[in-house]
Amino acid sequence: MKRLDRRIIMDRFFKYLVIVISLIALMPLFYIITSILVHGGSTVLKAGISFLYEPPPSPLSTNVGGIGPSLLGTILLMTITIIIGLPLAFFTAVLAVEYPNSIIAKFVGILTRSFIEIPTILIGVLVYTIMVLPMGRFSAIAGAIALALVSLPYMYTHIENALASIPWIYREAAYGLGLTKPKALFHIFMGIARRGIVAGILIGLAKASGETAPLLFTIGGSRHSYFQGLDKPIDAIPLLIYEFAQTPYNIYHEVAWGAALILLLIYLGVFATLRLLVKKVEL
Amino acid sequence: MKYIVDIKCLSVYIKGKKILECIDLKIPRNSIFTIMGPSGSGKSTLLRVINRLIDLIPYAKVEGKVYVFGMNIYNVDPYILRKQIGMVFQTPNPFPHLSIYDNVALGAKLNGVARNKDELDKIVEWALRKAMLWDEVKDRLREPPSKLSGGQRQRLCLARALAIKPKLLLLDEPTANIDPVNTRKIEETLTSLKNEMTIVMVTHSPHQAARISDYIAFLYMGKLIEWGPSSQILIRPRSKLTEKFLRGEI
Repeated sequence: MKRLDRRIIMDRFFKYLVIVISLIALMPLFYIITSILVHGGSTVLKAGISFLYEPPPSPLSTNVGGIGPSLLGTILLMTITIIIGLPLAFFTAVLAVEYPNSIIAKFVGILTRSFIEIPTILIGVLVYTIMVLPMGRFSAIAGAIALALVSLPYMYTHIENALASIPWIYREAAYGLGLTKPKALFHIFMGIARRGIVAGILIGLAKASGETAPLLFTIGGSRHSYFQGLDKPIDAIPLLIYEFAQTPYNIYHEVAWGAALILLLIYLGVFATLRLLVKKVEL
Repeated sequence: MKYIVDIKCLSVYIKGKKILECIDLKIPRNSIFTIMGPSGSGKSTLLRVINRLIDLIPYAKVEGKVYVFGMNIYNVDPYILRKQIGMVFQTPNPFPHLSIYDNVALGAKLNGVARNKDELDKIVEWALRKAMLWDEVKDRLREPPSKLSGGQRQRLCLARALAIKPKLLLLDEPTANIDPVNTRKIEETLTSLKNEMTIVMVTHSPHQAARISDYIAFLYMGKLIEWGPSSQILIRPRSKLTEKFLRGEI
């Protein structure tokens, strides 16, 4: 009986310990979100809906203005990043899973994964050297390529894991029906692994959309004019936050907080929508 | 062509280990041919050579000649070969992301068996009726297969295999994981199908082999011990090993 009591006490102790440690781990996240909601919320309420489409104010203005060009820039950069990065990550992952013994697959897999280890600022420098210098100016496309390189290993790793974790019985069933590799991939494997594939895309996108370092060398921070072309400078919200936070002007600090709130809402909106749309597959 | 499958001195090695040793076997058309033997005797491997699913297994090496429908299977595109051969596996494996209807329809649609929606609907109904599942699922064809019981899922897999209108149906211990009622339904389906196709089934149960087979092959430790009409193998086996297996001693 005594032994049983001790086991119950130990079980409870362990359970509460896990809960307390989890709460401690989550505290910084709560703090960040609360700060953004409080400071950013007050800026957005003050500026109203025009915060989403107006350009930023001048440093001594009393009007908060908005983050229109930067918001549009972030949306465009994310879209182009996905257009460039997703096919690369997806087909590299397919190569690794479907042809695991191929030397090319192994080489490409190792190379892609190694991108995770490279500081993202170096990716910015790389794109600066191979694109910005030859073109003679910063551009949206240079930023998107840098972000695609940043997101590539994250998307690749998650998509590869999602495809590789499909139970063998479904592979046999698909090929047993006479399906070719592309048909089996698009009709069966992608469907079974859809949740993991979407998670990979989201993680890659989240990583890319929050990055500042690669953009410092690539996009030029053009935040007073709207999109002018893929080969022209553009702005993005993280770069605006980074640069405005370092200025001595209170109005810029307010805009930076508001921009942080908008970035957070974009994350949550995209994540929640995709999570709801892509249903879990019950095996 | 009297024999739909003709195997000549087939040996299979996986990672250098011999799994099958010089198997010679002929499978007569429109019959139920059962390959029986204890676990690890190479039954499933033999089945996977016939439709070349063995190609999926890394480091598998196949020697000898296998003719299916009169063609050497290694002179044919494996996808074309598999389109004519249905297969049901030991573990029920309907595609979890597709509805009951789409599970049956997919192969028929992608392999060009059905040319339009009407034809597809007819094939799906025919296959589900053949698998004795139609009455149980006709009002919930859009539901996922996870809503079905294990036995119903296996019959769904049978319907999926039938919907590609195969000339040859391979079954790898299809009733190993399901209850007696579902086992009976699958056996009845197989018996009703043998006029339309040739059926090759793997089982470790001599009782099941006795119930439905026209021919039986006995495999032991990768070797074909004997094969012939089921009455002969079950009543007057030539080999002591077969006798021992039938008595449950090996």
